[in-house]
This record gives sequence, structure tokens and C-alpha cells, in this order.
Amino acid sequence: MIGSDVVIQVVEISGNSVRLGIDAPREIGVYREELWEAVKRENAEAASAGPADLPKLPLPPKR
Amino acid sequence: MELTLQSTRFGALTIAAESVIEFPDGLIGLGGSRYTLLTRDEDSAFVWLHSLDDPELALPVTQPWPFFPDYEVRLSDGESERVGITDPAMADVWVTVRAAPAIEDFTVNLRAPILISEGRGYQVINEADDAPVRVELLSGAAAGEDH
Repeated sequence: MIGSDVVIQVVEISGNSVRLGIDAPREIGVYREELWEAVKRENAEAASAGPADLPKLPLPPKR
Repeated sequence: MELTLQSTRFGALTIAAESVIEFPDGLIGLGGSRYTLLTRDEDSAFVWLHSLDDPELALPVTQPWPFFPDYEVRLSDGESERVGITDPAMADVWVTVRAAPAIEDFTVNLRAPILISEGRGYQVINEADDAPVRVELLSGAAAGEDH
């Protein structure tokens, strides 16, 4: 249990893998941490750019 | 009402109130609750999503479809509920751009697009297949030319 409304259960254990079930209110996002970390990294790297880093690139024409 | 900002990248900026976009949950890992889209050059594919709370925080974004015509955004029920957008087609969709010395090496994040609708923005997790966190910006357009 996390807080009053998030429940984590072990659904299955087989060999060396464990399946977890997470039951949380819909407005709470549940994400895999490695995905969250990867997005954080992309955001941070995107935000390190300055105006001079962007070449003039027109949008490709609609096909 | 206007808002002024001393951007570290662009100097003094005046932002019209209607151009302010509220991000209730910020951007993933970056926070910030108010941003605006800055077009520095009408002919450029790149637009800056600039924080109005932090004069140093801005990131280039672009529209996904001109580069990835088959791109799809699918939201889980939970994500739809969080952002209040049931159909991604109702929102403007942007993807973050990671710059590199050569344009061929520029990448975008198709997994976590930014949806903007009616003055509110959310960075969401896209459940669609084939939506990598990091993919070369020009790879989709190049693939399309083969069809």
C-alpha cells in the first residue's frame, strides 16, 4: 500500500521474474521508472540547446 | 495583460496573456508550470517551448507528422483522465528535439509527446507501438520517400 489508495500486489512469481499489479486511482500516472528516467534525460538534453544549435530546417512538405 | 521575461537565450520577451500555456504537471523532470511557444522563424521546423517561470529553461520542439507521417499518439485510460484529453486529435501535438552538431543526428522523443489544448499542456506517455524515446528526426521522412 502506498498512501491510502495505491495498492501494489505480487501477481505471479515464475523463475526469476515477478509480475506486479498496481492498482491506483486513474488520475495518478503509473509509469515504469526506466521510461520515466529516459524521458527526463531526453528533456534535459533537449533543454541544453541554444538558438545557435538549431540549423534552419524548413518543415518537410505535406505528402 | 502581457507578461515580460528576460530570457537567457532570447533577451527581453513580451508574452501575450493568451499565449501562456499552463502545465499543471510541468514537463517530466523539468517542472515549470507555465510555458509559451516561441516562434523565432516562421520558416523553421523548430519552435521553442519556453518556461515563463525560469528564464533559462527552454527546449526546442517540432511537429511530429511532417517528419513521421504514420506517427500515432495513444493514451491509456489513466493518462486520458489525467490530462483531460480523450482524443489526441483534439490537441496540438509537439515532440521535444535533441539537437546535435549535425542535423542527421538530431533526435526527437516520440514516446513522450507534449499535448496542448485550450491553454493547457501536458507531457504524456504515448502507448502507441513504434514510438521510441529517441529516434533520428530525419529517419521518418527518409523512410517515407521509399514508398
